[in-house]
Amino acid sequence: MKKNKRYNVSKNMQKLYAERLKRYVTAMRNEKPDKIPIRPFVAEFTAKYAGYTCQEVAHDYKKAFDAARKCAADFDWDAVVGNMVYVWTGLTQAIGLKYYAVPGIDVPPDTGFQYREPPEDQAFMRPDEYDQLIEDPTDFLFNVWLPRVSNDVTQMGQTSSYRSNLSFLKGGMAMMQYFSDFGPQNALLRSESGTVSAISGILKAPFDILADKLRGYIGLAMDLFERPKKVLAACEALMPHLLHVALSGADPEKNVPITIWMHRGCVPFISKNHFENLYWPTLKPIIEQIWANGHQVLFYAEGKWAAHLDAFAKLPEKSIIYHVDQDDIFEVHKILGHKFCISGGIPNFLLGYGTPQEVRDYCKKVIDGVARDGGYIMDASAIIQNDAKIENIKAMTEFTRDYGVY
Amino acid sequence: MSEKNKQKVEPGVCIPWEQKLKELPEISGDKELVKRIWKENDQLAYTYIWHCLLSF
Repeated sequence: MKKNKRYNVSKNMQKLYAERLKRYVTAMRNEKPDKIPIRPFVAEFTAKYAGYTCQEVAHDYKKAFDAARKCAADFDWDAVVGNMVYVWTGLTQAIGLKYYAVPGIDVPPDTGFQYREPPEDQAFMRPDEYDQLIEDPTDFLFNVWLPRVSNDVTQMGQTSSYRSNLSFLKGGMAMMQYFSDFGPQNALLRSESGTVSAISGILKAPFDILADKLRGYIGLAMDLFERPKKVLAACEALMPHLLHVALSGADPEKNVPITIWMHRGCVPFISKNHFENLYWPTLKPIIEQIWANGHQVLFYAEGKWAAHLDAFAKLPEKSIIYHVDQDDIFEVHKILGHKFCISGGIPNFLLGYGTPQEVRDYCKKVIDGVARDGGYIMDASAIIQNDAKIENIKAMTEFTRDYGVY
Repeated sequence: MSEKNKQKVEPGVCIPWEQKLKELPEISGDKELVKRIWKENDQLAYTYIWHCLLSF
């Protein structure tokens, strides 16, 4: 009997998983599924729900995996990320990375991890090092960048150290262990709750990564005026590597998208001129190449990108899923909805400080305005952290399930 | 991707096989096997540094 029961559960889960995958993929292709798929990017919210601190889910990824599965089992969600907290601070500590504020060490245990950008004069790449980066980006990262971002890795030419050697050994083994454990995590999501792993593969815009981890935002903003040709050449040098990394992590079944985490390439962080002549020409060919390889890209457009929607509208039909953060989702839908699936748009402040009725009302407004013909995926505007109220996430989920039926 | 994106060392590679080959004595056995394993392990180092940059 026990064996039969397990078999039945497994069959049910297989059926549920197949239904959810079909629903999710259909919407992503900008078509009309049976119901609106729900794909919340729940990060530190999972800790709050499962009874962990932010420190526990950041520093012990097995607890983060457990929390993600607990949420997936209890909420009727179609797809989630196996660990949306993602940055395992145990790994970053093993490498000696200095740019993270770790919960329980640098920030309180129940505050999410933070990225700390260095002051302009301590940027991880100096303004006179563009040629070195352009010549061989991988060499530059290993020999110049890594010793600067790690407290343990010694500079080239200096005597090596025990800590430096351990950084590579522990960092490499920890990274392999972490990445390898996503396979079993995704399989457990599938077998325990019939939940789809929402994304596969990472992409960042050349300009964004130059700003984030190399020159810093202020340094790069200065470079745009003082050495614009070098900035363009650096972005062009990064392009094939970013494409390679994105494709190497992509879903071999070509169901779920590669995600690009977009943040500082929009007006007013940069001018429209810089977007049109630098940011977009060094990102668009990557998106097109990924699409030519049969993969969609989820544009996780953090912030406001209204000034650039016309540029995105020129991408091949269905090549992207456009996630709305701070923009007016109804305007986005007018400009992009005929070509691409839209996701998100439920304000995080509402999930944190509103009432369940206010959440239901907002979800209704979004569904009525954007999801009428399919091509919409329910999610918050931004990654859901531990400020979201559990009752509001339940309201978003249950309302969408009840009302979002085609 | 265009000509201007061409790299001195191609994506996925830290130490090119052609460079490593020059350091080795004449390979009497299966040269393709040695090449494949070199490239696979070299790619792990590439993955490490680029994910340090992009993911962590």
